[in-house]
Amino acid sequence: MIQLEHLTKEYNGVRAVNDLTTEIPDGEIFGLLGPNGAGKSTTILMLTGLIEPTSGRCLIGGLDVARDPIRVKQQIGYMPEDVGFYASLSAEENLTYFGRLYGMDTPACRERSAELLSLVGLDGVTKDVGGYSKGMRQRLGLAKALLNDPAVIILDEPTANLDPQGVADYRRIITEVARKGKTVVVSSHILEEVSRVSTTVGILSKGRLIAQGSWRDLARELPEKADARVTILVETRDPMPDLVHPDLVSINYEHDRCGAVIVARSDIRDAVSDSLTLAGIRIRSLSREGLTLEETFLSYYQVAG
Amino acid sequence: MARNGLTTIAAKEFFDHLHSRKFLLIFGILLIVAIVGMIGGISEYNKNLEDYNKHQSTIDSPLSSYMAEKPSILSVFSSVATYLVFVGGILGIAMGFDLVSKEKESKSLKILLSHPVYRDEVINGKALGGIAALAGALFVVLFIALATLLIYGIVPDGNELILIGIFGLASFLLIFAYFAIALFMSTVMDESGSALIYTMIIFIALSALIPTLASTTVTELVIGNPPELPRELIDQMQHPANATEGAGITVTFADKGNNGAWDEFGEKMQAYSEKRQMVYSTLALFSPTMNYDAIASAVTQQYSSTATVIGSRGSTTTTAAFSVGTSGDVGLEDLLYPIIASMIALLLFPVVFFGLAYLRFMRLDVR
Repeated sequence: MIQLEHLTKEYNGVRAVNDLTTEIPDGEIFGLLGPNGAGKSTTILMLTGLIEPTSGRCLIGGLDVARDPIRVKQQIGYMPEDVGFYASLSAEENLTYFGRLYGMDTPACRERSAELLSLVGLDGVTKDVGGYSKGMRQRLGLAKALLNDPAVIILDEPTANLDPQGVADYRRIITEVARKGKTVVVSSHILEEVSRVSTTVGILSKGRLIAQGSWRDLARELPEKADARVTILVETRDPMPDLVHPDLVSINYEHDRCGAVIVARSDIRDAVSDSLTLAGIRIRSLSREGLTLEETFLSYYQVAG
Repeated sequence: MARNGLTTIAAKEFFDHLHSRKFLLIFGILLIVAIVGMIGGISEYNKNLEDYNKHQSTIDSPLSSYMAEKPSILSVFSSVATYLVFVGGILGIAMGFDLVSKEKESKSLKILLSHPVYRDEVINGKALGGIAALAGALFVVLFIALATLLIYGIVPDGNELILIGIFGLASFLLIFAYFAIALFMSTVMDESGSALIYTMIIFIALSALIPTLASTTVTELVIGNPPELPRELIDQMQHPANATEGAGITVTFADKGNNGAWDEFGEKMQAYSEKRQMVYSTLALFSPTMNYDAIASAVTQQYSSTATVIGSRGSTTTTAAFSVGTSGDVGLEDLLYPIIASMIALLLFPVVFFGLAYLRFMRLDVR
């Protein structure tokens, strides 16, 4: 289990992570979401023991990361977003070196490397890592994160440079790993990707955790926030009147389609219809749909301010 | 699983150096200049030995009292030291300037530190790997130098071997000093290019600027001009009261009546020389190159009755005197005493800069 207790990190007086408290049970695939600067990477760096929190603490398997970093690092596998390896070494040599740092003997390192390189589709590649593409490095990064058979796997933007086959392989591997009871933390801005693999998500905004739960849980909470997407199509290209409603969250005018997409906390179709009729605009269609992942995500942000 | 972070990192760094093109290139140059220097030094040594033997055969000549001592085998290393001070410094810099900065650039540092290793194991492992490679390189150079001596039929005795060992140790400390400076800059800078440039600036400052500042002219600017000879003594020299002339030769005798003035002038000159020497010696301690020069000169020019032990090569400043005779009766303590300060200063450079690199690395922000 991963426990974050009032985790706070300040850089030059600015709070990158602010009083973050949460728990991630074993076997979860936890998606950490948020725009740039939300505090995802800082949270991950504290989780991996690469930086120390200003206050609060992270516990992995009951061990305080800051106080017992070596034992914690034995239990985690980490892949940073900009994963870097030793360019003059081959993939196997890189993995063998890192395996030695985990205390594995060389034959065991080689055996495990061969197994993992096959798993990520890099078996048979003998050239030095300096000649690898970004996608190949990312595959190798995933192999590295699994090298010590860790209880917790922390991945920062793991699919950013992968081709479709690589993404499919990644999903398969992560799902398989979680099935074995391991905890996976995935930080990403690709909502689709996170929604495909994660069992729970946490949404960070300005260093604060503004929501956490499964996508279904988050959607269930939305009536208090935003649960409706109303699409209006009208029979004129004239500007539509400003729509004012207390439950309105956002409105995007789509002039090309002669319409607008409205996100609201409730079904405000009647109010929209009345406003447009009063303005003399004829409505071609007015439909209500559930929110897409992106709209759900953005709704949380808009509500969080 | 037993952790062995330090040895794993040190071993990787050591083999990385051995496979590094820049290391092999500079090491190759070092080997070539060492061999060329040795051959040149041996040739010079043989010539001096021949002169010495000729002199020995004319020992009854009235001029024999001016003859120098028997040439030392250590003098062969003099030209090696001249090359080593530059190429060795460059080797140390080349091995250290990107040790940490390259890992920052390639983003492998973040990966490395996410493993169960303490930060001090990482920086110590890097330093140990580098030191082992440097020591290995220097050992090969000294081994080849000794082999060259033996090929030419020159066999050093026990004392000479000790002195060669001291020379090797000083050479190692010099290269290690510049390695430590480069390692420190590598932890400070985010880019290897910047680390190299700043290390080179420090190298130039320590190996060229400080010797320039310590030169006679600059020292005189700091402590003033030497005392002038009093007028009365100049007059006395120009119009000697008891000069004897004959066959175009003038012999001047000191005027016993002015002994006090001479003594006073002598004391002032002595005080001035000591002051100048103190400034020079103090400045010299801040340059690994000058400290190395001092040690190398003391070791390789041990048979001079007054050896130049502090100062850049070719300097005429005399700071210590040795009373050593032939190679058989070299007093090691006599030799070591005047160079002890240089030896300590040379040792302090790597210690201080490695300490700074260590502190900096322990506090490095990994983001």
